[in-house]
Amino acid sequence: MQQMKATAEIMSETSIKPASVWDYANPTRFLGLVERVLPAFVMLTIVCMAIGLWMALNAPEDYQQGATVQIMFIHVPAAWLAMMVYTVMSISALGTLVWRHPLADVSLRAAAPLGAAFTFLALVTGSLWGKPMWGTWWVWDARLTSVLVLFIIYLGLIALSKAIEEPSVAARALAIVTLVGFINIPIIKFSVDWWNTLHQPASVSRFDRPAMDVAFLYPLLVMAIAYTLLFFTLHLMGMRNEIFRRRIRSMKMQSARQAEGG
Amino acid sequence: MFGQYAGFIVPAYVISAAVIAGLVVWTVLVYRNRRTEILELEKRGVKRRNQKEPK
Repeated sequence: MQQMKATAEIMSETSIKPASVWDYANPTRFLGLVERVLPAFVMLTIVCMAIGLWMALNAPEDYQQGATVQIMFIHVPAAWLAMMVYTVMSISALGTLVWRHPLADVSLRAAAPLGAAFTFLALVTGSLWGKPMWGTWWVWDARLTSVLVLFIIYLGLIALSKAIEEPSVAARALAIVTLVGFINIPIIKFSVDWWNTLHQPASVSRFDRPAMDVAFLYPLLVMAIAYTLLFFTLHLMGMRNEIFRRRIRSMKMQSARQAEGG
Repeated sequence: MFGQYAGFIVPAYVISAAVIAGLVVWTVLVYRNRRTEILELEKRGVKRRNQKEPK
């Protein structure tokens, strides 16, 4: 309760009701929106994750893969999120360069560590699934290599975001590098079709019906929704943190100017 | 529980849970630290450039 009061004090200018998405270009209004929707996002994520885990752990063993199919329920959502987060970052990059939306750079910066974490999870859980099924922890095939490249791009963007002090220069540089890196997303998606890979082709996101029994498909979809909700929850929280970081910077600069002025 | 594959399945779930928990804890801690810092700066009378005077 005390925390909410303190946050409300920080956002003491949220009385004007916004009319469109563009009104949320005002960070204070955006913080007001975050405060309103965050509890619902947190609750939905927890409920969805609990249901997904229950369904996953009660799914039958696969006739070929045995119990290792359990790894699919955490590997595939992490891999989907790895690509989706980068797509969100690329849209944010367009927001910075084309529409010059003030929160676009905030969104990009907040998403980068989350994307890196999901990509890391996709790589590690994939490796733990690959060893019993393929007989190896790692192969340099097109799918695995392109996902590793995605992980390196995420780390590079995080490093770049911390390397440039001037905010407008940093925002433009981050947006341009992010958009250049987007070329890797279709390569990851279609790598299993374009090249011979040890990694199997798509089983769910196909033009015809999914090549998977509903006993596995339903838990997988619920876990995918849970991971997606988790991302949006953490993304909203991360954007709030980034806005606070900018406020602290602005206040410290204002304080320094006042001190210089006597 | 997972038979001969427990050595692969359990670490996959434990690592996933640890990374997700780490993200949540890190995000919450950063939020608390920054909120405290803003409140302290405000207490010292420091304002943002476009911050309105309290009524």
